[in-house]
Amino acid sequence: MGETKSFVCVLCPRGCALEVDIGAPGPAPVRGNACPRGAEYGRLEAIDPRRSLTTTVATAFPGRPRLPVKSSGGIPLARLVEAARGLDSVLVDRPLRRGEVVAANLLGLGIDIVATDDLAAEELGDAMHGAGRAGEGA
Amino acid sequence: MRLGSLRAGLRKRAGAGAEVEAREWRGSVVLEGRARDWRSKVELGWYAAGFGYKGVVNDLEVEGLAPERPEAPGRPAGASLEGESFDVAVVGGGVVGCAIARELARWKVSVILLEKECDVAVHTSSRNDGMIHDGFAAKPGTLKARYNVEGNRLWGPLARELGIEFSRPGSLVLYDSRAAAALYPVMAARAAENRVEGWEFWGRGRVRAEEPGAPDSQRGGFFLPSAGVLSPYRATVALAECAAANGVRVSLETAVLGFDTEDARITRVRTNRGAFRAGAVVNAAGNWADHVAGYANDRFFSLHQRRGVDLVLDSRAGALQRHILAMPDLFQLHAKTKGGGLVVTTEGNVLVGPTAAEAPGREDYATSQAEMRELERHFRVNKLLSPSMVITYFAGVRPCTYEEDFVVERSDYVRNLVHAAGIQSPGLASAPAIAADVARSAIGILAERARVEPNPSFRAGRRAPVDPRRLSWEERAELVERRPDCGRIVCRCEEVSEGEVRDALRGLVPAASLDAVKRRTRAGAGRCHGGFCTPRVMEIIADEAGIPLPEVTKKGPGSPVALGRTKEAGRA
Amino acid sequence: MLERLDRDVAVIGGGPAGLAAARAAASAGARVLVVEREERLGGILKQCVHEGFGLERFGEALAGPEYAAREAESALAAGAEARPGSFVARASREGGLFLLRCLRRGGAYELRARALVLATGCRERTDRQVLVQGDRPAGVLTAGLAQYLVNVQGLLPARRAVILGSGDIGLIMARRLTLEGAEVEGVYEIKAEPSGLSRNVRQCLEDFGIPLRLSTTVTAVHGKGRVAGVTLASVDQRGAPIRGSEREVECDGLVLSVGLIPENELAASLGLELDGLTRGPRADQSGACLAEGLYCCGNALHVNDLADYVSESGEAAGRAAAAYARGGPARRELLPVKAGSGVLYAVPQFLDLAAAGRGQVEAGARIYFRSNATLREGARLVLKAEGSGEVLLERSYRALRPPEMERVELELGRVPEGASALCLEISRKERGDGRD
Repeated sequence: MGETKSFVCVLCPRGCALEVDIGAPGPAPVRGNACPRGAEYGRLEAIDPRRSLTTTVATAFPGRPRLPVKSSGGIPLARLVEAARGLDSVLVDRPLRRGEVVAANLLGLGIDIVATDDLAAEELGDAMHGAGRAGEGA
Repeated sequence: MRLGSLRAGLRKRAGAGAEVEAREWRGSVVLEGRARDWRSKVELGWYAAGFGYKGVVNDLEVEGLAPERPEAPGRPAGASLEGESFDVAVVGGGVVGCAIARELARWKVSVILLEKECDVAVHTSSRNDGMIHDGFAAKPGTLKARYNVEGNRLWGPLARELGIEFSRPGSLVLYDSRAAAALYPVMAARAAENRVEGWEFWGRGRVRAEEPGAPDSQRGGFFLPSAGVLSPYRATVALAECAAANGVRVSLETAVLGFDTEDARITRVRTNRGAFRAGAVVNAAGNWADHVAGYANDRFFSLHQRRGVDLVLDSRAGALQRHILAMPDLFQLHAKTKGGGLVVTTEGNVLVGPTAAEAPGREDYATSQAEMRELERHFRVNKLLSPSMVITYFAGVRPCTYEEDFVVERSDYVRNLVHAAGIQSPGLASAPAIAADVARSAIGILAERARVEPNPSFRAGRRAPVDPRRLSWEERAELVERRPDCGRIVCRCEEVSEGEVRDALRGLVPAASLDAVKRRTRAGAGRCHGGFCTPRVMEIIADEAGIPLPEVTKKGPGSPVALGRTKEAGRA
Repeated sequence: MLERLDRDVAVIGGGPAGLAAARAAASAGARVLVVEREERLGGILKQCVHEGFGLERFGEALAGPEYAAREAESALAAGAEARPGSFVARASREGGLFLLRCLRRGGAYELRARALVLATGCRERTDRQVLVQGDRPAGVLTAGLAQYLVNVQGLLPARRAVILGSGDIGLIMARRLTLEGAEVEGVYEIKAEPSGLSRNVRQCLEDFGIPLRLSTTVTAVHGKGRVAGVTLASVDQRGAPIRGSEREVECDGLVLSVGLIPENELAASLGLELDGLTRGPRADQSGACLAEGLYCCGNALHVNDLADYVSESGEAAGRAAAAYARGGPARRELLPVKAGSGVLYAVPQFLDLAAAGRGQVEAGARIYFRSNATLREGARLVLKAEGSGEVLLERSYRALRPPEMERVELELGRVPEGASALCLEISRKERGDGRD
């Protein structure tokens, strides 16, 4: 007989407690899910847990030193920290829109890293000192 | 005779396992050997103080407690003092040292103020409740009583000159016992003896009308209108800046390591920035003043430490109380402190405390749960206040001699040294009066060798920083046009603008850390306690100082807010 | 000179609540200005770079900045204007209008508006408010501040952190610090169960092998310049540290996630009394406070755990504020909503029964609530009309936990004549109730 894995579904705030029987032939049966997506998640989670990676990458703009990004798909959980480290050397030096690819094919996994915020041209100066540098007329 | 009975008394009180010896030295008495514990050491010191010696030097050892030494400072960045020469060196950048430096600036002499920390007012001067005591509580005939009452009178004009807020809400001491009425004549006599003016007895109804939060159990109170409040750190910074504006050199991160002496005179002051010559030296070294006296072989007193912890209530509490309030238990009347109370600060916070507990640790500011509990009893004095209003708390350490009085005098043995030591409560209130006397002594020392002229260009005031909250809306709008950065609010709780932070960083005694900015501007002192403004203030500090963000500190070297950057590994 | 602006609706706060309010009000034809303290719109979501926002609202898991950008774009597209970098120094009433005195770099201005929406969000409880003792070195900070340092400034606030409090932000910061190169020694929670969502315990802690220790707290911090360690203690059922259970842990940072407090200093300055439980103003289902023309929404009203709910409450407030600005005061018929047994709190505190008649607000009213205890084996919610005792609504739950806010919708038409109040009650589900 196979074994049973239990864990919390992370797809939504409901956080269903799932139980998945693995090892038996055929699609693994999932219990505890409140929706079909939960069943699908449970089956995958039991054999190949993946997580999307969210983090930030460096920019060349003093007013916005970090740009938030996310992975276009799930990264094997065991390689998540490695994937984050893989972005250490990325530097964004141009304005871009959210959704644009910042780094392609991370770790050869076929997964891209895309911006989750905009970097508009007009705000890329030093935000703090944009207009009216301090001190004049002091 | 006197020594014999002291020795006998010490042995009786020291208890089993202790070994206590006493010897006389230059009119003082030195206690040596081993005390049972810290408490016993302090009590033996107090006991010895009752024998009429000039001072008590308590060198008793306590098992498990190594004698404290100041931390050995490194060589800081910035100017060297090696080979320089000053007429007067003031050791210690607390309120007393800064006030002395400013008084000295009234004369045509060169003055250096030495402070081992990276800012003034880091220790006891920023760790008290800001009360300018009326002088009633001090023991008649002591220096404390005299300087307190004099200092209280001086603070009004001084605060105006310095451009700092100062108010006299008055102190209302409530009683919850009918028996207290019997004490009123005694209190009146004490007030008269200390020359405290304007006091009144208030009946129950008057108290209720003035302080709606006073407890139902109150039976009236004793009102002392001259009691005031100010911001002790802003006052200290203002004194230092005024001194600096008048030519005093304020040397931060400068620790005194020793003195060179010749013919009972200090010739050179050795510091971590090098050694320099000094015509006169003032010891205003706070909790280390006995050490500094020892560097000149003039340690005729020693200090013990009395901790005080205060709770800080949200600034909305200030609207719920008009006067400084206390309700002492009757048995506390003869205790060494007045037992704490509720003080409304100039910023509208209410401070609850302080506690008073003997404990070793000259710079030990760790607080404990027990101290929080002890302070809770003060909430009964104003029933409109509650512990849920607490936004933070802090500890301070009072430097106390065993005589429990100030030491303000020219040294008997070192001809060019003046002490301002043991300045415990009410030291803040007394500081201006102490400063005047100490400066006179130091100038007297210089005058023995050469004529000293008054400084005709001395300016008693200073260019006070802008304080937009004290402006009308129209004035504030004009200010923001003139100073655009005064329109960008970085600390929302205390409404502090970027402009004020920049001013603090550019001051004559410039702030260099988050805490230093907080002391000057209150950015980060509000209810969110820096949760929102910390990154913004860090950016401004980094910008003004031209340093990367990870080098910004909370309180000087060794206290970085961040430990590097994220994803640093990959960025070469 | 002093700039003077007039609008129908002023919104203070450009986070998800304020943006949704602005969009709703502008869509209803009102002239709207959002006054935002920071340089960019989006509020705290700008620094919440993790995913999971918008499942209800957009049907997808967005990162915080994506959610914020969508909301900002749609508010501006609807015709709302925004002034970032503006701080409201004083709010008052003048004649029939609200007067906001605002500061921003280089200029002060006055904004007059018929209706005012407070969307001021919340702040974090600090180490001092949970009475952590000991030294006060650098390296003690709230989770939200740590999040700003890491995600916005790219700074590491600690290399080996202890996290106190298992609120969602604390859990999310445990993962964030781990991903960004720091080590998290452990997460400690004074309560006997986690404060955050179960899925965050799973994906933020268990995924990375970060231990979660319950019924444990930090009693003291040690260190002079920088944090060198903390003292941990087990606590008894009342949350008091157990003598003798103290132990020291080495770390260089302490991150706190010990609760959020609605920011209502402006509301208080306008004379609104705050609800002792929610710490927000008391309001009806559209966020209308007890003072005319004044609305409150989002985390300023009560602390939510989902941005989606925050936006929803902003929309209701914006719509109602626009209607007020256009039509002026209307008759209100306020019926108290009470948190009965088993309920930690319920929001709104009132239902305005007349709202349906005015046709300005949806006929359905949303009621948000939290249970006051964890009911793992199932729970039953009943909404009763006091007076008649009639049960207006009944709902079963597989589980209820205080950290997880729930919401029900009530048709106002169902409230019987003569009801003196509505009351929510939660009970443990009895056997045989079946699943929802």
